Amino acid sequence: MAMTDPDRDDEFLEGFFRAARDARPEPSEALMARILADAEAEMPRAPEPMPVTRPAGGGAGTLSWIAAAVGGWRGIGGLATATVAGLWLGYAGGADAGFLSGGIWPADEAAATVELMPGAEVFALATGWEG
Amino acid sequence: MALDAQDDRSDDTLLALYGQGDRVAARALADRLAPIAVRVARRMLADPAEAEDVAQEAMLRLWRAAPGWQAGTAKVSTWLYRVVANLCTDRLRRRRPVPLDAAPEPEDGRPGAEAGLIAADRAAALDAALMTLPERQREAVVLRHLEGLTNPEIAEIMGIGVEAVESLTARGKRGLTQALAGRREELGYGDD
Repeated sequence: MAMTDPDRDDEFLEGFFRAARDARPEPSEALMARILADAEAEMPRAPEPMPVTRPAGGGAGTLSWIAAAVGGWRGIGGLATATVAGLWLGYAGGADAGFLSGGIWPADEAAATVELMPGAEVFALATGWEG
Repeated sequence: MALDAQDDRSDDTLLALYGQGDRVAARALADRLAPIAVRVARRMLADPAEAEDVAQEAMLRLWRAAPGWQAGTAKVSTWLYRVVANLCTDRLRRRRPVPLDAAPEPEDGRPGAEAGLIAADRAAALDAALMTLPERQREAVVLRHLEGLTNPEIAEIMGIGVEAVESLTARGKRGLTQALAGRREELGYGDD
């Protein structure tokens, strides 16, 4: 059968177009997940935080500023550990410096004697101190 | 319910928000635009898996375009249609020529076929017929009659004049009519 009537042809085709519009393919859940993963990966990042500036007031703000200056609270922790260790070494070293050798140098050898204040005797003579 | 169903913000606005790191805007855009990309790619390529790859690639390009997007210079949807169409064209050109009789045909000979095909069968018949059209005619017909775009919009997407769109659409419809003519009575369009 020849179809030469444009109106009838349009009507004929419109039935197919309508059916196709109603049967719209939708993206699968897997595709949506891939698209959203791409969106996350490509999402422009927020600008870097501003450099830490010292607040005008004191208090907790000042503490935070100091903490930030030495690398955060972990930095504070490291700093405190180093301070305590230094104090302890200073105290214990005066009492018995031999422990520093860790057994490498026998304590009864002359090399194990560490003179922490080489000028102490001269200083004592000069000041008349006798310990 | 898709988020975009509750979101009356424009595509431009959502894209700008995505550009500022708004995940909700990304989701709304995906819900709104991915179906468009899938529909057009499916009808251009007749391959569901390949169509989804094209849709993902088109959306990826949109995400990447977001930071430099100039609001008001182009409709996001028009931009997406153009990207999808171009990606489909690239893929079709890489394909080896497929004989026309290799185009998918709807199932036939079932009991329902004698009584008139249901809507899904008509849709499948149209998809098969679309694949017999030259690529540009197919694109114009899909955008005009399945996506409901205006001729000027199609002209912008395809990078041609409005008259050329009209010509492509008219020739495409003639081609479809011929491709489907042999099944006219079978499809419930008897000579009445």
